[in-house]
Amino acid sequence: MSQLTPDLHANYAENAKKYEEELTLKGWFRNIYQTIVSVSKGMFITFRYVWAEKAVTIEYPEVREVLPENSRSRLFNDAENCISCLQCATACPVDCIYITATRRDKEAEKIKTKDGTPIRLDLKQYTIDTALCMYCGLCTTVCPTQCLTHTTDYEFASYTVDNMKYDYLADDVRAWRDRIVKD
Amino acid sequence: MHNELVSHLNSTVSGCNATAVTPEIGDSSIFVDASHIKAVCEELATGEWLFHTLQVITGTDYEDRIEVSYILCSYTKNNELILKVKLPKPTSDSIPEIDSVCSVWKAANWQERECWDMVGVKFNGHPDHRRILCPEDWEGFPLRKDYVVQEEYHGMKVNPAEKINNADHHFFKKIQETLEDPKKISHSWKGE
Amino acid sequence: MAIELIENGEAIKSDLLTLNMGPQHPATHGVLRVEIKTDSEIVAEAIPHIGYLHRCMEKHCEHLDYRGVIPFTDRMDYLAAMSMEWGYALAIEKMLGTEVPKRAEYIRVMIGEMQRLASHLMFFGVYAIDLGAFSPFLYAFQKREFILRIFEEISGARLLYNYYWIGGVWNDVTDAQLRRIAKFVEEMKEELKKYHTLVGENKIFIDRTKNVAILTPEQIYSFGASGPVLRGSGLAHDLRKDRPYSLYSELDFDVQVGHGEKGTVGDCWDRYHVRMREMHESIKIIEQCLDGIEEGPVMGKVPKIIKVPEGEIFMRTECPRGELGYHLISDGGKTPYRLKVKSSCFTHTSMLGEMAPGQMIADFVATIGSIDIVLGEVDR
Repeated sequence: MSQLTPDLHANYAENAKKYEEELTLKGWFRNIYQTIVSVSKGMFITFRYVWAEKAVTIEYPEVREVLPENSRSRLFNDAENCISCLQCATACPVDCIYITATRRDKEAEKIKTKDGTPIRLDLKQYTIDTALCMYCGLCTTVCPTQCLTHTTDYEFASYTVDNMKYDYLADDVRAWRDRIVKD
Repeated sequence: MHNELVSHLNSTVSGCNATAVTPEIGDSSIFVDASHIKAVCEELATGEWLFHTLQVITGTDYEDRIEVSYILCSYTKNNELILKVKLPKPTSDSIPEIDSVCSVWKAANWQERECWDMVGVKFNGHPDHRRILCPEDWEGFPLRKDYVVQEEYHGMKVNPAEKINNADHHFFKKIQETLEDPKKISHSWKGE
Repeated sequence: MAIELIENGEAIKSDLLTLNMGPQHPATHGVLRVEIKTDSEIVAEAIPHIGYLHRCMEKHCEHLDYRGVIPFTDRMDYLAAMSMEWGYALAIEKMLGTEVPKRAEYIRVMIGEMQRLASHLMFFGVYAIDLGAFSPFLYAFQKREFILRIFEEISGARLLYNYYWIGGVWNDVTDAQLRRIAKFVEEMKEELKKYHTLVGENKIFIDRTKNVAILTPEQIYSFGASGPVLRGSGLAHDLRKDRPYSLYSELDFDVQVGHGEKGTVGDCWDRYHVRMREMHESIKIIEQCLDGIEEGPVMGKVPKIIKVPEGEIFMRTECPRGELGYHLISDGGKTPYRLKVKSSCFTHTSMLGEMAPGQMIADFVATIGSIDIVLGEVDR
């Protein structure tokens, strides 16, 4: 043993003596007996898991998990029903929703959302930076027309961060609607 | 409880100037003079009130002062107390200072280090006065209200421009230019 | 401390060996770096370095409205996110004077105790891994998975829930879900007995944990430790009993303390066993909630824009890892003026420097495991 810190070693030895009784031959055999008994009890439980318990894991790419209905995953905005009220952008704690809208001309044709709310603003831009989004669900709860929803789609990994920015007015993003949004 | 404690403190620790603040909503607190904080803490920890644990030290930056709140609690008496001191507002070349209470509670060691790191209150007599959460050579105290993030750290840019989302902001500006009446546009960014 | 030994006429310089444990060490439960100075196998000094996960959540909160803070509180202790939200919601409700509906209170207590189960199961599995047993980890995760799954169905997320809202809870629980929880709790009782035989009674486990890192009540008080670390040292203090919040005053459960059955009071085995017995108490509480739950709304009346009146509050709640305190200072505006979080893990990490000297390195791993820290909460 090194002599660098004699106090430390002396203390350690003293502590060991304080807490542990001296090892007798009887105690040595008792230790072995206790170890064998407790470990074999544990092994019995472990082996039960091998045969008696059902497997709980799934083999992912072949078997796909269906998430529960109100699971909060990829966001989808149905831009036709959006009234550009900016409530989602205000509620967002990380400011990842970007909206630009212009006021509709008074002479223009009057349009309404699915539930009958008149649309007074033209939506020019509706972008969500999904890489920033933390899926807290505050934006979907404040949406008055229920056009912004969480879908249960969880496979949206991409190679670049730029791809994570979804422009909900672009055609390719709107095409998801058929795939993931169930009416 | 607070009024009894105030009279007790004023009688045992002379010159500590304890005053109780009891608002209608929320918790009450006791203010003491910053110069007597150590004596007051020793009295509270070992005296009849038995506040033998220090829960947290909060530093708050107000417009005209910095307040340090010591939240003490007693497990045996099931009490808790917010003890506050007022320190002068820091200027460009001065840092508020106060005595350390590390000798009273060991918990104060890390709590005071955090308070120094985040709010910039110097604790005199602290055994290990270093930053704790930020790196040792970080500039500024993040939880002060006038904190500005340093521009460069070890040759690395803090918040580089290419990582800030510009494309969406440009979109908004372009629309603003093409449209004759800028009042017609609404957008979602704060402060623009 | 360097000394010179003369060997064969040459001077050999010798010094304490500095060893960096972490930040990516598997036994440090996250990104904790402990600088250890060792003399042979014995630790002479340990200096914890934290801050690798620091996000300055307190500064973020100063720029968020009161509802927007809740997702950030989730991200402190990501293994017990429900409990983190609960304390914050209680603090704001107390300031606003909001009445929480009875059904929401039952759901809160039930979910909070389920979260305690999940968190302690995680501790059980990871502590066994720290000490070299692998299979308990898998069994614990299997049961924890059920809890996460039911949380996902109720709240919509698996780990970071944003479920406890100011004034109630976000979503109601269906009867089918309650029945599943009841069935799970029944299974869990048998499971816990199994765990005790598998790990708690194992001779190797006992020898590794008994008489290791003993904390005396004086140390506990001086450091302000709380939760199972405090109760492991034989002190019966539980905020659910001593300062009951929510429905805890109506529920029947016991406070579990360490008795030093295998070694000395306050050693690692006691802290382990207090957590395991607390799981039994949680099951008791969940069963009472399942019996008592009544119909009704789950959300109280809260203004659309929350403005907390001027003042301050310090709200403490009993989380799985210890007491969590929110010190909220409001200036009457829409955002908190200052929100300070008292984290129990921060306190417990500061105790490492006191517990380590004089231990073997292998025991030090057992010590870090036994205080069950989550670095997200330490650094905030």
